[in-house]
Amino acid sequence: MSTSTPESGREPGKLRPGETFPDLELPDHAGNRRRLSDLVGGDPLVLTFYRGWWCPKEQSFFRRLVEFQDEVEVAYTRMVSVSVDQPEVEAAFRAGLGARWTFLSDAERRYVEILDLLETTDTIHYPYVPTAFTLYPDLTICTAWNGYWAWGRPSLEELRRDLRTITKAIRPDWEVPKQ
Amino acid sequence: MSWCWLVRTDAVPEGAVAAAELSSGGHLSALAADRPAPSGERKIDARALDSEGEPALASLVLPPDGLTITFDDLAVSGAMGAALAAPWPHVLSTLVVDSSRFAGALTAVRNGDRGRLEADPFARIFPAEIVEIGPGLLGRTPAPTGPVIQRYGGGNPWPWDRF
Repeated sequence: MSTSTPESGREPGKLRPGETFPDLELPDHAGNRRRLSDLVGGDPLVLTFYRGWWCPKEQSFFRRLVEFQDEVEVAYTRMVSVSVDQPEVEAAFRAGLGARWTFLSDAERRYVEILDLLETTDTIHYPYVPTAFTLYPDLTICTAWNGYWAWGRPSLEELRRDLRTITKAIRPDWEVPKQ
Repeated sequence: MSWCWLVRTDAVPEGAVAAAELSSGGHLSALAADRPAPSGERKIDARALDSEGEPALASLVLPPDGLTITFDDLAVSGAMGAALAAPWPHVLSTLVVDSSRFAGALTAVRNGDRGRLEADPFARIFPAEIVEIGPGLLGRTPAPTGPVIQRYGGGNPWPWDRF
């Protein structure tokens, strides 16, 4: 299993590549209770924490993710995004973007301290520090990106590289099966 | 088991694992996957079924037996993407024949949201009938994580999401 730290900044929070990500249990954008381990299924996962719908940097980053979903939808890979927005706010943000993946709402901020991802410099919203992870299906962290500054977020090419690494590791038929 | 056979008949077939009456007449029934293929040979996600399930209002896209298009047709891909973007219903399963053909879809709600059914993206592929389905057939299909629209295994209906 390959794990790495990008050059884009300090590793966010307490979570390090190679460690197991906590199995979050939160309501999704429709209000259904969801567990991360169930959402990931047996696939690679792109997990993003974002400040909220109001942040221009998030709007820019998520437009790139929406572009990316056209590749992801045919590649047995899942995406989950988490914020402190209420489910109905997330549902509106998701619909406005045209996103087709699951958003989780931590409006009660259950996990911000556990994950050490509270953005303490925003005393209005107390949001998550923008952070992106690629995870193996067992929730092992492949890479973590600190997106406090916009340039710290992963490019789509960095995500593609990670998803290839993870997929190659978990799919026994990565090499074309012989007759 | 990831799927069952789904069949529409006048009477409930012997050995059905779940069945319900349709408000427009006849019955919709599920048969275990190890049974011989019934007429139409349509498969449905097993999670969409529950022999103790409550009634629901459904959009039933059920073309005549033998009328299918390839599951990889862009019309099907587009409909799955649209279904992921829309509010997820209580029940949704595509109906598939063998490993490669799309033969309809079943979308159902229990909150009376007829508008969701009238906007059923699968109704753009084949005509849909909005119908009340009685108790004893429908379960609940959890919303898939997204944005995956590929099937997990050639013969499985979407949104079944495990290999």
